[in-house]
Amino acid sequence: MAEDSSITLQTVIDEFRSISPELTKCLVFKKDGEIMASIGNNIGEDRSKIAACFDEIADQAEVLGGVEILTIHGASSQIEITRTNNHYLAAVASLSANEKIVKALTCVIVPTVIKLLDQVKPALPNNPPPEVAVPVVKQVEVEVKPPEEPKSIVKLPEIPAAPSEPELPKPPVTQFMVEKIGGLMVAPDIVRVDAEVVAKWIDLYGGREITHVQIETLEAKTAICRFKPMREVDRKLKGIIQIPEKILQVLRTGEGKLVMVKPFIFKLKEEQS
Amino acid sequence: MTPNTVATQAESVKNGAVAITSAEGEDAGFASLGAGLAEIRKLEGVVGYIMRGKNSAILDLPEGGEISQFAFLSHQLNESSFEIAKQLGVTEVESVLVEGEKLKVISMKIGENKVSVFMEKSANHVSIIKRILI
Repeated sequence: MAEDSSITLQTVIDEFRSISPELTKCLVFKKDGEIMASIGNNIGEDRSKIAACFDEIADQAEVLGGVEILTIHGASSQIEITRTNNHYLAAVASLSANEKIVKALTCVIVPTVIKLLDQVKPALPNNPPPEVAVPVVKQVEVEVKPPEEPKSIVKLPEIPAAPSEPELPKPPVTQFMVEKIGGLMVAPDIVRVDAEVVAKWIDLYGGREITHVQIETLEAKTAICRFKPMREVDRKLKGIIQIPEKILQVLRTGEGKLVMVKPFIFKLKEEQS
Repeated sequence: MTPNTVATQAESVKNGAVAITSAEGEDAGFASLGAGLAEIRKLEGVVGYIMRGKNSAILDLPEGGEISQFAFLSHQLNESSFEIAKQLGVTEVESVLVEGEKLKVISMKIGENKVSVFMEKSANHVSIIKRILI
């Protein structure tokens, strides 16, 4: 994790220390023992050993449904340990500490911050996300982020963006229910959208050609892909978007789920000339 | 006692009944603690327990193939939690609580005896700890 991530984590646990001075020791560290943030003295313990011990317990805890939190009660203090995205948080507090505050730190705040930092990290310019090509859908590339990624983006890099295009109307967002389509005649990278909605988009953009839509699930996963108006035979289906299996997988959604769809307008260099 | 030994004993308890293997050499504390645990087992939300003494073990766990998993976890908890506490400067461990998505377990060392009580997440583990310590 980058240095600024450590600063963020340090700020969070410093704040908790000021709220709950009973928090005598708190450290966020990696499996190899590298400290990301810490408060308190005597933190020179063998942190990799702590991580290993926690993992050993977690490995045997399938019967409990994994380990959400491990709490060790001592005579005068208690330890709480959680693990998030391969980061470990160990908090030591005196028994007089407000349990709710300590739990808020260990179970909610720090895990959330770690997850957010992991999501933000790939978006930073110095850390481009790894891209994995999807062999079936030849025109598209799927951007695969680390485990907790908020969005999967299908993009078409071959169309370059122009910086100074005339301003377009804001794309209208329409909610659709997903219907899965498949078969030999179905292109795996093309969705089918209600023709009436497509007509409205074309009107809005003054007849400009719209070839792509951006689909966003309620879980904030998005994909940009080609679309066609729905076939004549399916025109009676209102409020439906037909999506092939491959794109459903990218969006991690399925039939019957709701998605938000808006036209995606590429800013083409050719239009400038 | 190794987890394998515990697991072997657990295999003999297919119907969820309490099993006592060789009580020889155990102190009076073992018997009274076992009696207390049998009462705790009846509490709402408690799904089972394991008690290990110097030479003996008592298991009362839910039916099914998970008995060995409970036994392995109980053993690992005793081994690893004391090491974690040591590393973080907490020398005297009174109890260990592990909360999972489905169940939680408390683990305690009472004299020579090691106790693990498995329960539903909604169960009041604080009152169970107090009852064990009585």
